[in-house]
Amino acid sequence: MSVNHFWTAFAFEPFMNALLIGLSMASIWLIAALGLAIVYGTMGVINMAHGEFVMLGAYTTYLLQSVFGLPFLLCVPCAFLIVAAIGAIIEKLLIRHLYKRPLDTLLATWGLSLVLVQGVRLLVGPEPKNVTSPAFLNASMQFWVFELSWFRVFIFGVTIAAFVVTWWLLQKTRVGLMVRAVTQNKEIAAAHGIDAGRVYTLTFAYGAGLAGLAGAMFGAIKNVFPDMGAGYIVEAFLVVVVGGVGSLAGSLVSALGLGEIYSVFAYFTNGTFAKFWLFLLVVIFLRFRPQGLFSEALARR
Amino acid sequence: MSNPYHNPKAQWAAYLVFFVVLACVPLMVENTFTVNLLARFLVLGMLALSVSLVWGYGGILSLGQGIAFGLAAYGMGMTMQMQAQDPESMPIPSFMLTNELTELPALWEPFWHAPTGIALALIVPTLFFAALGTIMFQARVAGVFVAIVTLAMLSAWYSMAFDMQPYTAGFNGISPPNPLQLGEYSIDPYSATAYWIALACLTVLTLGLKALLHSKFGLIIQAVREDPERARFLGYSVAAYQVSVFTLSGFVAAVAGVLWVMIVQYVSPTALEVSFSVTMVIWAAVGGRMSLIGAIIGAFLVNGMQSFLGDELLYGFLLVLGGLFIVIVRFLPNGLAGLLESVLGRFGKRAAPSDAGGPV
Amino acid sequence: MKGSRRSFLKSSAALGTVAGASAIGGFPQLLIKDANAQGKPWVTKGGTIKVGVLFSLTGSLAVVETDSNQVVQFAIDKINKAGGIMGMKVEPVIIDAKSDIKVYSEKISQLILKDRVIATFGGYTSASRRAMAPIVMSRDHLLYYPTCYEGRECTQNIVNTGPLANQHSQDLIPFMVKNFGKKVYFVGSNYIWPKESNKNAKVWLERAGGELLGEEYVELGGSDFTSIFNKIRQTKPDFIFSTVVGDSDIALHKQFKQEGFKVDKMPIAALTTGEIEIRAMGAEFGAGHFLSAPYFEALDTPTNKKFVDEYLSSKYGKGGVTHYNMEETYLSVYAFKAAFEKAAAKAGSVEAVTPRMLRDVTPGIRLEDDISPEGLVWFDETCHLYMKPKIGQCGGDGQFKIVQAAKDHIAPDPFVIYPERGVCKFDGLHTKDGKVLKSVL
Repeated sequence: MSVNHFWTAFAFEPFMNALLIGLSMASIWLIAALGLAIVYGTMGVINMAHGEFVMLGAYTTYLLQSVFGLPFLLCVPCAFLIVAAIGAIIEKLLIRHLYKRPLDTLLATWGLSLVLVQGVRLLVGPEPKNVTSPAFLNASMQFWVFELSWFRVFIFGVTIAAFVVTWWLLQKTRVGLMVRAVTQNKEIAAAHGIDAGRVYTLTFAYGAGLAGLAGAMFGAIKNVFPDMGAGYIVEAFLVVVVGGVGSLAGSLVSALGLGEIYSVFAYFTNGTFAKFWLFLLVVIFLRFRPQGLFSEALARR
Repeated sequence: MSNPYHNPKAQWAAYLVFFVVLACVPLMVENTFTVNLLARFLVLGMLALSVSLVWGYGGILSLGQGIAFGLAAYGMGMTMQMQAQDPESMPIPSFMLTNELTELPALWEPFWHAPTGIALALIVPTLFFAALGTIMFQARVAGVFVAIVTLAMLSAWYSMAFDMQPYTAGFNGISPPNPLQLGEYSIDPYSATAYWIALACLTVLTLGLKALLHSKFGLIIQAVREDPERARFLGYSVAAYQVSVFTLSGFVAAVAGVLWVMIVQYVSPTALEVSFSVTMVIWAAVGGRMSLIGAIIGAFLVNGMQSFLGDELLYGFLLVLGGLFIVIVRFLPNGLAGLLESVLGRFGKRAAPSDAGGPV
Repeated sequence: MKGSRRSFLKSSAALGTVAGASAIGGFPQLLIKDANAQGKPWVTKGGTIKVGVLFSLTGSLAVVETDSNQVVQFAIDKINKAGGIMGMKVEPVIIDAKSDIKVYSEKISQLILKDRVIATFGGYTSASRRAMAPIVMSRDHLLYYPTCYEGRECTQNIVNTGPLANQHSQDLIPFMVKNFGKKVYFVGSNYIWPKESNKNAKVWLERAGGELLGEEYVELGGSDFTSIFNKIRQTKPDFIFSTVVGDSDIALHKQFKQEGFKVDKMPIAALTTGEIEIRAMGAEFGAGHFLSAPYFEALDTPTNKKFVDEYLSSKYGKGGVTHYNMEETYLSVYAFKAAFEKAAAKAGSVEAVTPRMLRDVTPGIRLEDDISPEGLVWFDETCHLYMKPKIGQCGGDGQFKIVQAAKDHIAPDPFVIYPERGVCKFDGLHTKDGKVLKSVL
């Protein structure tokens, strides 16, 4: 009665599905990392509380749904707005005082994450909460050899939409132009009349909002509980760092790569082992390309 | 008179007083529980010491100090577990049975012999830090990237400790049933002996590091921290210095790991948790990362708070800790030691410009 | 610089003496005034009986352990209201373990050495048990560990009131094979208890003529089951046997439905998905799945009805459900009461009762139908319970319908699948070469 449970042999159908799952993992990691990438790329702030913004998004959804009876699909954009507002407040109160000390923002935001987790635990309670999603998302779809839940397809869609909107905002709008200007040189941008402080607040709020959006969706595939954010933060960092600072395309490619590597390893071995190799590969990768995939040189901040 | 905070003689005096007072503590405390608790604090203080060295002096924000601590703790846990095994009737720890092992794995073999086991527990993490440091610093990885790489490495070890259950017992951890046996002596974790062993190690390491930081090596380390480019132009091998200080900090954390298991008789993957490694940084930040003794005191304060404030702050402790951390980073980047420095500075202001002022 | 080096040498020499003295045993352990050694009684006549209650009330484990803490207090209140134990009130010393393994280890020694409790109720995860065990053992003290665990341990200082791995799945596997089919896929959380449970389940599976298609483990707290469901979809089992715990368990059941699996075609048979987990995931995701446990809230006995009513209407019952883990914890308090009475009668006075004595009289103690909500249970010589596991199927209301109950009590046997290791008895593990090992962890 023993099963060789370490190695799984190759078989066409499940392997194709593993590739599809990799795509789905990539979309989850990308939406979790997108806000982080923008905030780090623009402001040079490593936000350790990013996972907690994800958590806040999930709780926002839970509260809107259970207290105000809002339908799930409406909760998702609301979570974006509310967490963005919280992000704006936090930027004004804390982050803006630390711009000149990037290592310290890392530590201060870690402190912030403790406060947010414990605060939520005190206010809402430690027990896991339940977000219900519409019935049509709680089913799976099939085509050819593929089989995937509609909910994963939904996350995938939202991620792509969020990515395109972000890209459009940055590249095609006036605000985006200002953000890019501030990213390149804050002082000269300010000399041209751009209110750098305002741009930073907006950027941070937008990044937080994206995390909230991610949280709204994650609450429905697992549960909503105070320290759920910790489960995303390391992977999100890796996506950003491997992708290269300040490069949206880099984040996209690295999320895809990491998601597929993880899923394929998980298919042939198991999830924990896959994660170990993922971390190790990232460390080795950074040894040879510390600036990431898409950045020209290591940013000196 | 200049700021007494920067006076080397005053500094050494303060260090001596500090350790002498610590050495007398077991003579004053009656309860064995308290002695054990304080011994734990000493070990945690040692972790803050390693953070102060690598971050305060080396300018390297490592979130991976837990790697050295955890690996050493596992080494010690294995050593003490093997002391409880019997080659005849109980050749392997019972958790291995769950994982279909019938013979002791080769990884565990050296731990039959306690001195070898303890030596490995110290050497392996130190070598690992040397290797990781070489990889990172030769590639000129710096700043937050070091934080991220060490974080990823820590996470990798964490999932490894979890997953390699035939060798580590995974989540359950290893709890050696008996105290450490050294020759004929058994070191009861609740004895003053255990406390003094921990204190002796802490004292030797702290004073040794302080002497080192006052030396030329220490000054170059700090020059590298202030501006690696300029240090490189001056002809110093920046990477070599960074690797040395990183390795040294790994060794300090490894000593802490060995002592920790001697004192609590337990090791599990929690030693490799991300939050634990970041908490060490919090201790050092609270006490003052630019001061070895400050960092140690920071560890005492935060952990003492957690143990003794206890139930009144039951639900609020993490709030307080997080809030405290935000406030310290925001207003007191050099922690309590920095506060002391500026207070003492006021007394000494009248006099001539302060002397160079070595590390504190 | 010179001055400082000189003083450094001096100070290190001074410290060398201190270190040397303690290392060579100049005055080893001179200063331990151990409470045990002083021979002070643990309980004084006319005083109270102090017991430790060590669960996590904050942090991630609080979800389960808060209930354990509440139910211990509820039982103590109940005992005190009925006159206490031999006329003495029980006084709980309640400590929050903060979901931190270090705190369990620190606080159990505080309870034993400083607060001088006579026994401690505590722990939920195996990690917390193992962090506490060395201290409890070295001080010859007593821990009531009130939940299921993997077994394979033999100690003199722990009393267990939950099912062992060998009791948990013995009925469940044949039941599932009979009703759904031979082919099964094992899914578990990645740690020792699920692995040990699966090892036992394999033995029952082989006897029932079943076939194991695969075995997958997800990291603790992990929440993505797509890769595992991909493999399950490929192998097409008749049912899933789950030892996934905590948050992951909730994600497993949710994603089971989202991935399009049908509960009537391929149900999950679990060892931990109880009333609390079902409430957390929403009954729509739990309905139709199976659980093996010695206790269910819906159990239809007068004692259980009374227990549920009294608990839920008390100030401790705000959680709104009872479940197997709480009932096992409740039993442990009554097991303590019975042991204390037995020990005091044996020793002749309450002052002579020691923690170790409580453990030594525990074998043979019976908790009868009128006390035990799950029905009669009794302790064997290793301080584990004889019990009757039951199988329940979750309904649309989040409550379980009992579909099968064991006819006879199943004996606990911590080493049942390791006969080569020896047999755990009252005085320790009897190995094959005739040795008796007192404490095997």
